[in-house]
Amino acid sequence: MALQAKFEKVVQGIKTSGPKFLKELREFDNLVKAIGECKSKAEEDRIITQELELLKQRLSDPKLDKSRGKEYMIRLIYCEMLGHDASFAYIKALQFASDPNIHTKKAAYLALTQFLDCDNQLVLLLVNTLLSDMKSDNYLIVCTALVTATKLIGADLVNAVYPVVVERLRHPKEHVRKKAVMALHWFGGLDPRREGPLAGVELDKHFRTMLCDKDPAVMSAALCALHECIKGDPRPYKNLIPSFTSILKQVSEHRLPKTYDYHRFPAPFIQIKLLKILAMLGSGDRASSENMAAVLHQTLRRANTSHTIGSAIIFECVRTITTIYPNPQLLATAAESIAAFLRSPSHNLRYVGIDALAGIVAINPSAAAEHQVAVLDCLEDPDDTLKLKTLELLYKMTKANNIQVIVEKMMSYLATCSDEHIRRDIVRKVSDLAERYAPSPSWFVATISEVFRLGGEHVDEGVGHGLCRLIAEQDASLHASAVEAYLGLLDGAVGAAAAAGGGVVPSGKKLPETILLVICWVLGEYGHLAARPPGAVLGRLMGLLAAHKTTTDRVRGALLTALAKLAAHTGGAAGPVGAALAAPHGSGGGASGGVCEASPADFVHACLSSQNLELQQRAHELTALLKLPPPLLAAALPVNAAAEDLTSDLGTVVALPFLDGLVNSALAAGAQPYLSPEARGSKGADAQAKGLRFEAYEPAPYAVPIAAASTSAAFGAGGSASTSAAADPRQSSYSGPSPSAASTSSAAAAAAAAGPSEPQLTLKGAGGRKWGPAQYESGPDAAGAGGGGGGYGVSSSGPSTTSAPAPAAPRSGHHSRNASGSGPALTGQAAERERLAASLFGGGGGGGGAFSAASRPAAAPAAAAARASGGAPSRPGAAPAAAAPAPNVMDMLLDLDVPPATQPAAHSARSHAPAGAPAAPGGDWMDSLLGGGGPAAGPGGNHTAAGMGMGGPGMGAGGIYGGMGPPQQQQYQQYQQQQQQQQPAYGGGMGGPGMGMGAGGMGQPGPGYGAPTYGQPQPYGAPAGGMGMGMGGPGMGMGAGMGGRGAPPPHQQMPQKAAGADPFGDLLG
Amino acid sequence: MIKFLLMVNKQGQTRLAKYFAEFLSTDERRALEGEVVRKCLSRTDKQCSFYEHRQYKIVYRRYASLFFMVGVDDDENELATLEFIHCFVEVLDKHFGQVCELDIMNEPEMVHYILDEMLLCGQIVDTNKTNILEPVQLLEQVQT
Repeated sequence: MALQAKFEKVVQGIKTSGPKFLKELREFDNLVKAIGECKSKAEEDRIITQELELLKQRLSDPKLDKSRGKEYMIRLIYCEMLGHDASFAYIKALQFASDPNIHTKKAAYLALTQFLDCDNQLVLLLVNTLLSDMKSDNYLIVCTALVTATKLIGADLVNAVYPVVVERLRHPKEHVRKKAVMALHWFGGLDPRREGPLAGVELDKHFRTMLCDKDPAVMSAALCALHECIKGDPRPYKNLIPSFTSILKQVSEHRLPKTYDYHRFPAPFIQIKLLKILAMLGSGDRASSENMAAVLHQTLRRANTSHTIGSAIIFECVRTITTIYPNPQLLATAAESIAAFLRSPSHNLRYVGIDALAGIVAINPSAAAEHQVAVLDCLEDPDDTLKLKTLELLYKMTKANNIQVIVEKMMSYLATCSDEHIRRDIVRKVSDLAERYAPSPSWFVATISEVFRLGGEHVDEGVGHGLCRLIAEQDASLHASAVEAYLGLLDGAVGAAAAAGGGVVPSGKKLPETILLVICWVLGEYGHLAARPPGAVLGRLMGLLAAHKTTTDRVRGALLTALAKLAAHTGGAAGPVGAALAAPHGSGGGASGGVCEASPADFVHACLSSQNLELQQRAHELTALLKLPPPLLAAALPVNAAAEDLTSDLGTVVALPFLDGLVNSALAAGAQPYLSPEARGSKGADAQAKGLRFEAYEPAPYAVPIAAASTSAAFGAGGSASTSAAADPRQSSYSGPSPSAASTSSAAAAAAAAGPSEPQLTLKGAGGRKWGPAQYESGPDAAGAGGGGGGYGVSSSGPSTTSAPAPAAPRSGHHSRNASGSGPALTGQAAERERLAASLFGGGGGGGGAFSAASRPAAAPAAAAARASGGAPSRPGAAPAAAAPAPNVMDMLLDLDVPPATQPAAHSARSHAPAGAPAAPGGDWMDSLLGGGGPAAGPGGNHTAAGMGMGGPGMGAGGIYGGMGPPQQQQYQQYQQQQQQQQPAYGGGMGGPGMGMGAGGMGQPGPGYGAPTYGQPQPYGAPAGGMGMGMGGPGMGMGAGMGGRGAPPPHQQMPQKAAGADPFGDLLG
Repeated sequence: MIKFLLMVNKQGQTRLAKYFAEFLSTDERRALEGEVVRKCLSRTDKQCSFYEHRQYKIVYRRYASLFFMVGVDDDENELATLEFIHCFVEVLDKHFGQVCELDIMNEPEMVHYILDEMLLCGQIVDTNKTNILEPVQLLEQVQT
């Protein structure tokens, strides 16, 4: 019939306008054909440009054939869809929208929804048409108008159409009701807080009513609308939980008509929507969660993985289960489903499996260990999406013990990734993790510098400030290594620039501004520690300027201050740097046409007359400072004073006696006496109390400006010191609490109490240390051979893949299989994966503990040791992994009493031969920890047997319970070595460190236990007493750890051995 | 929430584009579609059917020479979106009978009308084939 009508129309057309009609008739077909056949984008663009010309001509023709409106509209849609502007035709589309022909009308509405958005002024012209169409008798037209309303009605027009739409909710046709609900939903989204045009309107009342509509499609639309409302604020909708659960129950029981089925699954999209709603309603609400547990269980059970849609329902169920208040039974079921996903060969299922696993890990951190093989597979998968998702999972399961491996993985991804969005995300994650879990300051510095190098453009400036503060708080060896690291970075940048364009047009990779500021600050503050002569450092700093032609004024300012500090620290004006800076203008070496600013003196001269006032001031200050006598210069720019306590500075300058005369004369002249801010505040409050004052004012922060002002006053050197203070990054970081040892340690205590969820720098300091996790702080005098021997034995047991803590923790089948092989059964790649798995999942406590320290790559400790002793930063993994034989766990377990085996481990620790050490240490340390008194034979040459015995078990405790993540050992090792360098006299206090390690390894980082004991000198004098003290602190930690996990027999030896000397011995039992 | 749906053939030519609750200018659309399509076409069968682009997650599925790509936000269930595409294709199949690229090019408005029945404000409101096709078929019967 339609065909016949078409035919008649064609005949009619030919009769009236002849061949012209025929030609026009084929225009649309020709367009489609041309687009379909074109081979390139350019050709397509040409076709569309022609088409637009043609359309312009046709639509402006007064004798426009209205019956072909639909065709014109579709041609316009094509043009816009292919990326061309057809705005000339919008008004025509508006006209066609009021065409009586339903086809033309629908096409015109469609075109308008494609072309316009709700902010477009043209929509105003449409409202009347829209309103009359909503009242049409033809439900198709009503539907079309409602659909248009869901796209084009903006906040200012809501009120005009709202009443009509509400009326349509009672329309007999379900299609209309469905669309009316969605139109209301759209209106709600325009004014989510009900403060604007919808103030006082109870949209949800309508939604609640429509939820009970007899047609499931309308109910489904109401669900969508309620979903959005609940997303905003779930509280008012808690009373709907019974309705939602009962709907979900009925749907999953197949109560809806068969037409809603999709591949035999009952209305899966409705189920998923309901699950999403329940997740939001149950989140953090125990009672609600319990009410939905049964139906969740049923839904999960009824879905199956026979079809993807079943998996989608299961996935949504798992997401709901992990979002609502945790229910152990449901979580267990969810974990099973996830396991099925992860085992699947389908990438899609593995992807959602990883996603779901991340949800579970948030509740139960050890859940990931079970799936480590699958996770590793996904991490190494060539599919970027999967890899990225896995990195996200790793981000969520990062702990202090696996951060190094995870960050390394992220960095290697960052290095290859080119998508800006993803890069920004990874940079944010890495800096977040590094600030939270950095195992050591040097690692943090190295990591953040690497982040800057790879993705500097995305780094927050706050990260740079944190870096400066951290460096300032460390000792000279770290300062020196930071200086070397940054000089190396500059070497690279300058070299690249030189290679790229002979130094004239540097097109090499530029360092971002933030890292340049950090570099300037570090080299200024600590440049004198560099291995190369100060002149070379100066050269590098100037090279920075040459390599980064477009350096901002901020960087130039920082550079000036750095030069001033460098000069002050290297002999003042008479030193090499000072001399170079003070050289007469134009005489600097290498000052030739192209590189005009290569000479430092020229640079300073240029800045003296810079248009930037700050630069000018800094340059003037620099020249003035260099003219000062050396003592005054040293006072103005002190060496290594960045971490100084600013508040104590304040205290010293509070009294300014030389100003007394001035003050007195001012007071005599009737000036107000000075009031401290506190006094001022209370006085002000009194005064205000009489007037109109309804609430308290915030006291203004004042510390920083006063510090700067007072310093400059004290030195009488104009603005010089104040400028240097302003240039320091520390200025901004110090406006908070002062970084004195005391406040840092209290901050650490607070951080420990607050738990790891807070993204802040983990300054867990105890005793004299300001940085680093508490794990290795509990034994500050760890220079010993006994405990230290144990510690080293553990960490050097690198390449073996034994699941060492077998007696304490359950192992997964996969790993017990490998571990029970007695020889070096694992070949390169497999071993590598094992190590990765161990370092990612090991040490997590509980199930994760199965993969412990023993499987740590040998390379990392070795590299760490090298770094600690040599001072040169090298990345973990750089050192070759020594292939040591994997010891047989069974052997170790059975031959517990073979003391001689402990010798090599203990010995290797004492001699600190890092790379060569791992001869067969995996088994050794097991022996040492299980054998109790065994290690006494090793390093105990100078000590009592009791003392050594203690050392051994101490380590054992750490190894077993802490799952002693490799990073900790690395730190520990490093730490030990530092200690040895600094405090060689403590060599005798062996027992202490051993115990300290045990405590730290257990993951009970309370700074309370190790530190207080070690403050006292007694232990070192008398070996027996020393043991007692050493045991005392950590002993408590062990008690706690063992209580949680059940004490294995080997440790019961300890109290017996210790009893004689150790007053706290009973705590260990 | 579903943000947009693209139908692109394997040469990368757009055959249909529809945006939901998201308005982009012509140039922005052009840039976004170019990037999304390029990324999609470079993927292999061995990779999963999802990838991230800007703030969107893209879920795609290939039918002969035609790719269906759906951009969703973070909340959306990827597997369900994947199945939604298939459901949509089933509806098209039922309407056109063995739908092919040419059907979509010749009657793009019908595809839009079908989508309007299934998706409103970026939400999946209906997947019941009878419900969806009823108004569309009724429209076809109306005299032109």
